[in-house]
Amino acid sequence: MSAIREYWRVTALVVLLLLSSVALFAPGLAEPAAEDGTVAQQSSATNLQYGLDLSGGARVRATVDGVTATGVNVTQDNQNEITQTVADELDLRLADVRARPGQNGGTVEAFGEVSESELQTALDNSGYEYDSVDPGVTEATRTDIVETLQAKIDASGFAAANVQDVQAQTGQGTHYIVVEAANRNVSEVTDLMTSRGVVTIYANFPRDGEQVNETVLSQEQLQEGQIGVPTTVRGGQPAVPVTLSDDVASQYAADMTEYGFADEGAGGTCEFENGSANEGDYCLLTVRDGEVVYSASVVEELGRSFANGEFVKDPSFVITATSMEEARQLNVDLRAGSLPAPLSVEDTFFMAPSMGSQFKTYSLITGILAVFAVSGAVFFRYREPRIALPMIVTALSEVYILLGFAATVNLALDLSHIAGLIAVVGTGVDDLVIIADEVMAEQVSSRRVFQSRFRKALWVIGAAAATTIIAMSPLAVLSLGDLRGFAIITILGVIVGVVVTRPAYGDILRRLLTMDR
Amino acid sequence: MPQLEVPEIDFSRYSNRQLVGPPVAVMLLALVVIGATFAMTGTPVALDTEFTGGTELRVVAPDGQTDVTQPFSAEVQSVQPVQTEENTFIVSFDPSADPEQQQQLAEDAGFEVPMSSSTSPTFGESTQRMALIGVGVAFLGMSLVVFALFRTFVPSIAVVVSAFGDIVVPIALMNIFGIKLSLGTVAALLMLIGYSVDSDILLNNHVLRRSGDFYESVRRAMRTGVTMTVTSIAAMIVMAVVAYLFGIQLLTSIGLILVFGLVTDLVNTYMMNVTLLRWYKFEGVTR
Repeated sequence: MSAIREYWRVTALVVLLLLSSVALFAPGLAEPAAEDGTVAQQSSATNLQYGLDLSGGARVRATVDGVTATGVNVTQDNQNEITQTVADELDLRLADVRARPGQNGGTVEAFGEVSESELQTALDNSGYEYDSVDPGVTEATRTDIVETLQAKIDASGFAAANVQDVQAQTGQGTHYIVVEAANRNVSEVTDLMTSRGVVTIYANFPRDGEQVNETVLSQEQLQEGQIGVPTTVRGGQPAVPVTLSDDVASQYAADMTEYGFADEGAGGTCEFENGSANEGDYCLLTVRDGEVVYSASVVEELGRSFANGEFVKDPSFVITATSMEEARQLNVDLRAGSLPAPLSVEDTFFMAPSMGSQFKTYSLITGILAVFAVSGAVFFRYREPRIALPMIVTALSEVYILLGFAATVNLALDLSHIAGLIAVVGTGVDDLVIIADEVMAEQVSSRRVFQSRFRKALWVIGAAAATTIIAMSPLAVLSLGDLRGFAIITILGVIVGVVVTRPAYGDILRRLLTMDR
Repeated sequence: MPQLEVPEIDFSRYSNRQLVGPPVAVMLLALVVIGATFAMTGTPVALDTEFTGGTELRVVAPDGQTDVTQPFSAEVQSVQPVQTEENTFIVSFDPSADPEQQQQLAEDAGFEVPMSSSTSPTFGESTQRMALIGVGVAFLGMSLVVFALFRTFVPSIAVVVSAFGDIVVPIALMNIFGIKLSLGTVAALLMLIGYSVDSDILLNNHVLRRSGDFYESVRRAMRTGVTMTVTSIAAMIVMAVVAYLFGIQLLTSIGLILVFGLVTDLVNTYMMNVTLLRWYKFEGVTR
């Protein structure tokens, strides 16, 4: 027991190493998603998780297109009115304008390619006062976007994907929506982010000698009902089954009857090509993001059921698509909803999984060889295994503890982290050299002499550690991808080194050098 | 077995000017290279697409393909062969190119695209600004800590100038060796701050806070300091060489930059820093 108390620093090191082993190797401890938002893929042997650099996948970063006016007097009562007025003024869809009441004055947002001055003019013209108009959208909208994207990802079965709202710390503090997905390529992720996924069903029918379009089912109305799994219907057509809610169903049936779809002869005639139907045709159009993805006639039987009330009793039908892929896309859009505002892609990164795992092996080998180089240099210098061996073991245990920490907090390791770890070995050994040289400057005559010299060495180590931590901390906070991971690893390494491993090395040296005194 | 022996230099044989001359000359030369690059390109060192915006594709061309630029519709800015991988090239485009389109064209032409990245100019610009602020704050923070530790001007400024030189010389060498500045290589430059102050603080500490002969203190500090730096150089040479053989460009660049910086640090610490301390100890204090 007294040995444990006497060498408590070594004991602490051993405890930390054991904890790290548990974190690294105990099964079932790893969680799928990383806290810092990187997509993590777990290796089979350890609980370590790897970022895109080392596991492969795609990352897409985008900004939200829109402008926001703050300090507008928005209340529950005038909310809809403001939305309507501003949308008319800017010639936008209702969905592209959002007025929100707020504690410090409400906000009015306009989404899409709207300039600040355009929104200002629109507000001025309609007589609403505002404090300021800035690019970007409100936090509520961004949260909405993140949630919708997450829902879209879930619905489309992306494995290990992650959505985040990240703010840049400098300049205008622009917000970025970042999506990372393992085993996906950039275009898949980009498509997911840039398509708004607004699904609408229009009726195209003749009125007063002209073909007109009327919305019969909006996305919101469709979502009130139940969206089924994509399947194939008769004739092998891919389709998404939908069951409407009662209210929507009766409205839909009433509209369809009014537009003449229940009339004799309306069924079976729909020739919709190049954006228009033949004169006199009755068509039901499925439109996604402004593009007609499918057009079809209403079979007579269904037409009749609109009129005689049978449809309302059993309000289920299918939204047909031209391909299974499109049916799945429609299903995702209907389930997850549409993005409130469009996104512009700012940067993309892709690493093929095969190349990532190759890099993983290679960087491991690189690290091990770098450690050998350090060990070699230390042996050549001291030519005394009693000094050099504990030095290398201590430096390695620092890396081991850091890896254990990475596994505990689900930090996804990237190449920059590996570089940081190799740097930690470098500074770690540097400090151990300082300790060894200081302590052995002259013959160690007693434990008291040892302690006083050791303390002198610690001053230098502490001073160097303080500078490194101060130098790295701005980078640990800024959202600068590679630099951030590197800075965090370096800072942690320095702290673990100064608090645990380097004092422990001192204890080991003392034991070895003052054995018989 | 070879032995790593730290050479003992008799500093008293050299005048201040003789000792300070070479490191100052190297630093000035580095500043000239950086200045010239700045004058020609508008940036002190070539920037990676992370900072400028643009698209980079790593492509593996099918056997026998000689002109890798052929399938692309956008203007190719540069083609860099990856030395260690056969038929592998890094093709870069300016920001006007549509990254997905170029990737599609590459794949249609039978190329493999194992890695791609693209950045919009505005995002690159904000990253650039942020990185600059980060490095600036890091350097300033380091300087403040050093001044707080020693509380005397000359020894503190010696550390700061030495660290400055340790960063400037590798940047000049990056220009010469064609290494682009990316977030990864900025990390390497920052690592130099950490490595640089280690040996400087050690030297200052031995000379200022210990009793005893100046030259004896320097000799001891040097014994430890050179071991530290040489150990790190060994690690970084190995990292650079191995990563080069494996074709991991980021680790190769980081390793190279650190080797450049650490060698510079040996010169700066034991020629410039020692001289400044000697001047401070023998002439500055008594004045």
